Amino acid sequence: MAETFLDSTELVLNMGPQHPSTHGVLRVIVKLDGEKVTGTECVIGYLHRGVEKIAENRTYAMFAPYVDRMDYVAAVSNGLGYCLAVERLISCEVPERAQAVRVILTELNRIASHLVWLGTHALDIGALTPLFYCLREREDILNIFEKYCGARLTTHAFRIGGLQYETYEGFEQECLEFCDRLAPRVDEYEELLTENRIWKERLIDVGILNAEDCKAYGVTGPMLRSAGVKWDLRKAQPYSGYEKYDFEIPTRTNGDCYDRYIVRVQEMRQSARIVRQGVGMLAAGPIMGKVAKVLKPPMGEAYVSIEAPKGELGYYIVSDASTQPYRVRVRPPSFINLQSVDKMARGSLVADLIAVIGTIDIVLGEVDR
Amino acid sequence: MPEEANPGGATEPQKPEETSAQSGGGEPSPPPNEAAPTAPAPSPTPPIEAPAPAAKAPAPAAAKAAVAAAAKPAAPAAPKAPAVMQTTPWEGELVEDLKEEFGERIKEYCTYAGQNFLVSEPGAVIPIIEYLKLEQNFDYLVDITAVDYPAKPERFELIWVLYSFERNQRIRIKTRVKDGEKAVSCVRVHLTADWLEREVYDMFGVEFEGHPNMTRILLPEGWCGFPLRKDKSITDMDNRWVRENVGIESGQ
Amino acid sequence: MKKFLRKILLADLLEGLWVTLRTQHPKNITTEQYPAVMPKVGERYRGLPRLNTNPENGETLCICCDLCALACPEHLIVVGWERNPETKRKDLVKFTYDTSRCMFCGLCEDACPVDALELTQDFQMASFTREGQIFDREVLEEGTKPTRYKS
Repeated sequence: MAETFLDSTELVLNMGPQHPSTHGVLRVIVKLDGEKVTGTECVIGYLHRGVEKIAENRTYAMFAPYVDRMDYVAAVSNGLGYCLAVERLISCEVPERAQAVRVILTELNRIASHLVWLGTHALDIGALTPLFYCLREREDILNIFEKYCGARLTTHAFRIGGLQYETYEGFEQECLEFCDRLAPRVDEYEELLTENRIWKERLIDVGILNAEDCKAYGVTGPMLRSAGVKWDLRKAQPYSGYEKYDFEIPTRTNGDCYDRYIVRVQEMRQSARIVRQGVGMLAAGPIMGKVAKVLKPPMGEAYVSIEAPKGELGYYIVSDASTQPYRVRVRPPSFINLQSVDKMARGSLVADLIAVIGTIDIVLGEVDR
Repeated sequence: MPEEANPGGATEPQKPEETSAQSGGGEPSPPPNEAAPTAPAPSPTPPIEAPAPAAKAPAPAAAKAAVAAAAKPAAPAAPKAPAVMQTTPWEGELVEDLKEEFGERIKEYCTYAGQNFLVSEPGAVIPIIEYLKLEQNFDYLVDITAVDYPAKPERFELIWVLYSFERNQRIRIKTRVKDGEKAVSCVRVHLTADWLEREVYDMFGVEFEGHPNMTRILLPEGWCGFPLRKDKSITDMDNRWVRENVGIESGQ
Repeated sequence: MKKFLRKILLADLLEGLWVTLRTQHPKNITTEQYPAVMPKVGERYRGLPRLNTNPENGETLCICCDLCALACPEHLIVVGWERNPETKRKDLVKFTYDTSRCMFCGLCEDACPVDALELTQDFQMASFTREGQIFDREVLEEGTKPTRYKS
């Protein structure tokens, strides 16, 4: 009798594409039993712009600005991955100074991406202040990008074969000053959040994805490292001179949202460390390798991947010996990480679903391309 | 407005399986010229096996015939030999294990730009992936993608990229399917394949048998056509829409 | 014991609150008061385009090589020229730049061999009409003018 009185049917709720907590145009169809999530289905494609098809109609150098617009929060990494892939195809050597500047900018970009993540994730959970502090730091990074390449968000910082611009006067100084300013600020974020009981209640044991599941779902990046797998492409398959830098890979064991938060905050500190080393390694030299004016890679293909802030970002470029690539495939980390939402959120509450979506660190530009 | 004019990419690229010539010994139709360094100067891009050392052994006898033969195609220079990916054969312990396990079902083992890949027949791909996961520790499926070569009868080349954490090694598995032929899904081997295969279906129209939810993922449900195919489906769709809704002929 | 006291007296929450209160001090304010205060953009900022002219005689620096049009990913630059019979050089007749489709990537600026086409620090790109965003030679050389809003 009690059953018929309190009978509840399954509710299908639409977390529509316009939603403040979905980090973009993501639609999640949630099946609820009361407040408990019994199933989710992600509907994506609202930001699909056909970047891979556009690539077939542009030359290699022309396509580089489009690549920034996929993961628009961390545009520099996208550019780095693409340039490395094309350089692999044409077997071009990038000079050391260019490699060092690339590493500095990519690590600053990683800090910027994690700052956005931290600000928006905290916002979803309910902590409204870290957003402003994180964006305040991000302003400094974006100012450095602007002075270097001319744009804050869609940087187009690197060219195939090296760099277009020499570093501006005061570049090293500003990077070091930024690193000095960052350390106490990261301490501030930790003061606000890490020991905070509300934060811990919301995030510990929420969205657990253990190492086996991570590998099965192909999840990479901070999510994999929070599950205990100490793997980072910068150490495993170094590119662009990363083998010369001394940094640690933060890992945690539990694989829940709190661990991912700790891993990303530690990564910010490690990135600052790399930036300092990079600035120390800047020596005089050329910034552009030997690249033909009209780029026609020999017929072939290459898959090159880098450790983007969100995971393993890969570019698979097929060349048909003409000036335009035959096929450019982008392996987007956010797309593949997003598949694990269902596994993580099933059985938890709606508020935990929000935490889970936030913790994956998706950018819809990359998911949909 | 539309970027239809592609100055460089209009030539349909040929990628015939002549790369197997390097690991075997059979010579493809363009004669080898490695013993005749001066002859190729007028003839455009002779796509010959420069890196394969094994082919040099029978060269001296064939070289004289080759020089004579090479001089002749240089004169008309009309039929440009199709550009071919210059791969080198891939050897190693893993290759030996795979050969033992799969024999003839894997057609070739190649390396290009330092990256190893193998080409197999479509039916063998899932057994290979399973074998690599269970026996050889390739436990992470990085990517599944496809490339369209409309000039060939088996137009879609499907590519699986796998990675092994233990060995720190990446491997590519390639196969060819015809238009309309279904590939086999590897969802039960690697859970990542779910959305990746849906995307390949969405963009190319290649269906994967055994997939629990073979529907479009990035494009809306009512979309007709498969965008990443090298045909006019996108402009056709646009023309159709403009004709129906605006009533004029599209300017594309 | 210490942990118990920290828990009861909400120590972690108060620490966080102190961080927030600290930033209320006027010296920690980082808000920029736009539009009262214009931000200083970098020298290399990729803003609105400009066609440079020779400062001495006012002639355009453009040599009509069409490299910018070839470099543009969106094909939005159109360079119209005609051959001058006397000097045997190309004279610039028409130069159209469509900023509505431009993504400000800077490839045209990089391609120009004589630094005629340049992306300036102008970031205020709003206009009232779509046509107003297609810059012709005059607008490119002299810069945008405030639009007269006809009533």
